[in-house]
Amino acid sequence: MSSLPARGVMQQVAAAIPMECRGEIIVVGSLAAAYHFFGSDPNAVITTKDVDAMLSPNALALRNAKIVAESLFEAGWTLREDAQWGKAGDRSTPEEELPILRLHPAGNTDWYLELAAAPPEGRAESKVIQRLSTNQGDFGLYSFRFLALAEEDPLRSEFGISYARPEMMALANLLHHPQIGPEVVRGSTDKRSNKDLGRALALAWLSTERDRDALETWHPRWRTALERRFPKEWRDLALRAGKGLRALLDDKHKLDLDQATRLCNLSLLRGRGLGAEALRATGRRLLVEALAPLESAARTMPGA
Amino acid sequence: MIEDTSPPTRHGYRPDFRFGNTLVEVKADLHSFRNFRAALLQLAYYLSDDTDDRGLLVLVNPRITEAALRNEWRLIERALHPAMVRRLTLAVRRQSGIIPIAGNLKPALSKRLLLDNVDRDARVQPNRAPHSSDAILLVLLNQWFLRKGPMTNQWLMRAVGCSYPTVAKALRRLQDVIQRFPDRRFQLWGFPTDEWNRIVANRERAHPTLHYADRSGQPRNAESLLRRASKSGRNDIAIGGVIAARHYHPDLDLRGTPRLDLTLHSPDGHADLSFIEGLDPALERVTDKEERATLAIHVLRRQTSLFVAAPKGLPWADPVATLLGLYDARLEAQAKEFLDHLVMSVG
Repeated sequence: MSSLPARGVMQQVAAAIPMECRGEIIVVGSLAAAYHFFGSDPNAVITTKDVDAMLSPNALALRNAKIVAESLFEAGWTLREDAQWGKAGDRSTPEEELPILRLHPAGNTDWYLELAAAPPEGRAESKVIQRLSTNQGDFGLYSFRFLALAEEDPLRSEFGISYARPEMMALANLLHHPQIGPEVVRGSTDKRSNKDLGRALALAWLSTERDRDALETWHPRWRTALERRFPKEWRDLALRAGKGLRALLDDKHKLDLDQATRLCNLSLLRGRGLGAEALRATGRRLLVEALAPLESAARTMPGA
Repeated sequence: MIEDTSPPTRHGYRPDFRFGNTLVEVKADLHSFRNFRAALLQLAYYLSDDTDDRGLLVLVNPRITEAALRNEWRLIERALHPAMVRRLTLAVRRQSGIIPIAGNLKPALSKRLLLDNVDRDARVQPNRAPHSSDAILLVLLNQWFLRKGPMTNQWLMRAVGCSYPTVAKALRRLQDVIQRFPDRRFQLWGFPTDEWNRIVANRERAHPTLHYADRSGQPRNAESLLRRASKSGRNDIAIGGVIAARHYHPDLDLRGTPRLDLTLHSPDGHADLSFIEGLDPALERVTDKEERATLAIHVLRRQTSLFVAAPKGLPWADPVATLLGLYDARLEAQAKEFLDHLVMSVG
């Protein structure tokens, strides 16, 4: 992993996106969070290697992804070397075997931009892959279902591209992991659920660092977003949003919380030396001040 | 210490804490079947809102025998839906340890969770009232500081919640500083220094205090905690400590407000601390006196709170409770200054 200047990378990504697509791309993940919380500090760095960007809306995602990808290829951006995924597919490559589009900026292999699409409406799969055909071959453009939340009222960077709200990324992560699953992050032994649920805690911690009452402003936005993005099932989603976090805070998952803490201290919470106890306390704030009111709203029947 | 999380409130109730998927309700010194049934039904109501959680009712030193509880459980099994009964567990905690009565009590939960948390929750309920003589002195002092005038035995008995012999005995002990009137009313006529020093030295007995510290690394300040406490809708808590001392003595020589002190009126001995989660879920009770507390809860056991109404928001704790809060916060200089102010203002 590399230490990247959050503001500088956001500027570089924005500059590389063709003007016609700049309004239809949303930066998500660690860069979005780092820019939001540390973007005003020119010296602030984020420890990551991947910069995630999502093309939104889904209806235009394939078209825009082709424009963006070909523009980046033309500017000298190169495919990330990878024994399994470092080569473009062709029309005969099955969709599930297509490589994800991961591009290094010209002459810089410290980080890469990973393109994804906003999820198609009405699909219930947690992950959908669409074929993206470019002049350099075919790639997989994936969508994660709950990243639809990142499309909700995104914030605008000073460089003209948008980035996801911290609370929406936190909710997407919470919903994606209703339990501590066995899946590990590629190339490591760290559990994916610990990384993502830990990310939700890190986003909460950074938000309350600015404003101790910040979490109380999350649940009305969460409810609006869930009602809009998942109108038929928002109540069920609201009621299950806290399950994974409750599991992580459970004493029987102490080692998972330790792992989540370590991963947070390597990325967004780097340099703060927080222990699992601090994240557990932040988790309690998140449960009581954001998730409990959301659950309560979901339990209230219409017209009640 | 075993970590636990606080469940949210439902139907105006919430269990004492959650451990994994088990919601735990602790009842200390329970002595009637009526209260036992109420506690169990409350827990069952709570569980009915969720399909995954289990419920555990722990009775700490109940005055009902285990055999009687097992008989009662058989009636419960006949009355409640079997699916609900399967999710409920009943256990008793006595000196000898945890005694399962009904349901499935996992050994790990019994050993690791209960021995710690139930002890802690039982301690949270200040079952033992402070000595009545201490409570009587604090009321006498309060009435004197506030220049309320002389009082009767009946009034003092009602205020403290004690018998006539107890009042008479306490007054005999304080006879050197008691002024009696022809109509049998009485009041303090001077400050009882020795008795006061004894109270301060043993203030945990006269004025038990629970301390809470932030665990997130981002403590909320006293003003923020107070704002939240003011919205709690509780009428049994009052502002004490530095904030109240400034109310009574605006010239108090202290910058900032190191912590929030609240006085909780708990005449029946059951300290309902559920509002603390609303102040800040990141708070945890601490017993290490060296640890910096951001919240102190002083438990007031006498019958009458003697809270002083404020134009809006929470009332003020009485001046004596406020003063003891300063000692508890180790603000000795400010406590002395405030005490001098109170004594001087009596004239």
